[in-house]
Amino acid sequence: MNLLLRYIGEVTSGAWSLAAGMAVTLRYMFKPVTTVQYPRARLPLPEAFRGPVELRRLPETGDHGCVACGECARTCPSGVIKVQGLKARASDFNRARFYFIDFSRCSLCGLCVEVCPVQALMFSREYEQNGGSPQVGVADLLARIREARP
Amino acid sequence: MTPATPEPALRKTLTEETFFLNLGPQHPSTHGVLRLLLRLDGERIVTCQPVLGYSHRGHEHMAQNRTYLQFMPNPPRMDYLAGLMYNHAYCLAVERACGLEVPPRAIHIRLICAELNRISSHLLWFGAYLMDLGAFTPFLYAFDDREDILAILGEATGSRLTYSYCRFGGVARDINQAFIDGVRAFIPKMRARLKDYDTLVTKNIIFVNRTKGVGVISRERAKAHALTGPCLRASGTAFDIRKAEPYGFYPQFDFDIPVLTGGDCFDRYMIRLLEIEQSLRIVEQALNRLPAGPVKAEGVPQFITPPSGQYHFSYETARGHLGIFLVSDGSRVPYRMKWRVPSLSNLSILPVLLPGTLVADTIAILGSIDVVMPEIDR
Ligand code: SF4
Ligand code: SF4
Repeated sequence: MNLLLRYIGEVTSGAWSLAAGMAVTLRYMFKPVTTVQYPRARLPLPEAFRGPVELRRLPETGDHGCVACGECARTCPSGVIKVQGLKARASDFNRARFYFIDFSRCSLCGLCVEVCPVQALMFSREYEQNGGSPQVGVADLLARIREARP
Repeated sequence: MTPATPEPALRKTLTEETFFLNLGPQHPSTHGVLRLLLRLDGERIVTCQPVLGYSHRGHEHMAQNRTYLQFMPNPPRMDYLAGLMYNHAYCLAVERACGLEVPPRAIHIRLICAELNRISSHLLWFGAYLMDLGAFTPFLYAFDDREDILAILGEATGSRLTYSYCRFGGVARDINQAFIDGVRAFIPKMRARLKDYDTLVTKNIIFVNRTKGVGVISRERAKAHALTGPCLRASGTAFDIRKAEPYGFYPQFDFDIPVLTGGDCFDRYMIRLLEIEQSLRIVEQALNRLPAGPVKAEGVPQFITPPSGQYHFSYETARGHLGIFLVSDGSRVPYRMKWRVPSLSNLSILPVLLPGTLVADTIAILGSIDVVMPEIDR
């Protein structure tokens, strides 16, 4: 008899716990939807968002400020930066003539942005950077600067 | 772990009617790429042999080939669920070795972020564990809460999973108002959610029956296998690095180390929910007394070089005791960096815990231990 009572008690409390759980679910059914329907709706990017690195465009000249010191290339843990500079005249500052980053191996750690002595680099605000082959990831940053110029 | 002897063991299979089952390396319940070689007698497990190494990337070797700063993106990739903690631990280890001073504001920000990361790691575990046990709904709630944390941390760090936010001598950038508002809104929301979790899961009869008394680890056995973190504390030992060898400003905060004595899956579940509560307390206090000031020490050299010698640093991650053993020869590149990760010793209990249990319990036990494989394989 005792055993039977205990059994009934367990079944009732168990059923009650399931009902209580269902009540929680029901309550959430009438709360606002949390899912964002991604391709049709997008979340705002955070201020600190680290997109693929790009050269900063100086407002005065509309050009980049990279002096091709190579500090970023030396610091990059993955070794994915290639930068080469040229001087128009011996007395000029060095200017970058080639700047390539292989984003397929970049971890977006941001060390290159931090070590640049003239703050020539910055994070873009792009994402959805997928492609069909590793070569797609190789970006010519100077070409992007040229494209952006009026 | 006994070495594999497939030949005689296979012959035995034929005569004793036991058979082998590979659980993993891609079984959805094994949390990554763990392979458990189970020998079964019907539904009962006779032996269990974890097979590791599927996501070995050689992080420790990479450390010996690059400067201290260049290694910064690596630690979060070992434990991708608690990346910020690994990042934090690595910075603290190197800072201790160099005797670097960190501004108080940076220490507070780091603690807030690390505790938020602990909560998000526990939430992911909570969701994934219940999904292993066949409950789908809690997973969605847990990920809703976790999404809040990721958004908050994204506001400060700019990334969502493998943060490299801490820097030697501080953090990469100051937090903004959106971060502070986000945390302030998150704390009450999470507290309310914990009550819902209690109703939804903790009291659920199916969940209780599947976890109570399953996979009991006694206190002695937990110590013998060097379990740390929630697994150890669920077996009745109150050991937490944050209290035992404190770093940061933990001694100034008012928080408890929850301890349970059952040692079963249910207690390991419960202890993580209790830890979420304690982490919320720490975050709240840290936010209330957040000092003003710089977030990065001045004049930290780019090529940081600890004086030659051996250093060890302990850290409490979401899974337990992380130890970093660092040998410096006074050059820009570490001579050796050994990572003692909590999941490996936590996993070592499986070969003695599993024999005699049922396959369905294996999933419950394995999930409750909360292993992260990339951290073991490194
Ligand atoms: S981007 Fe900066 S660090 Fe890199 S080469 Fe140019 S100036 Fe030097
Ligand atoms: S973000 Fe990091 S990995 Fe990427 S190019 Fe810069 S330094 Fe290299």
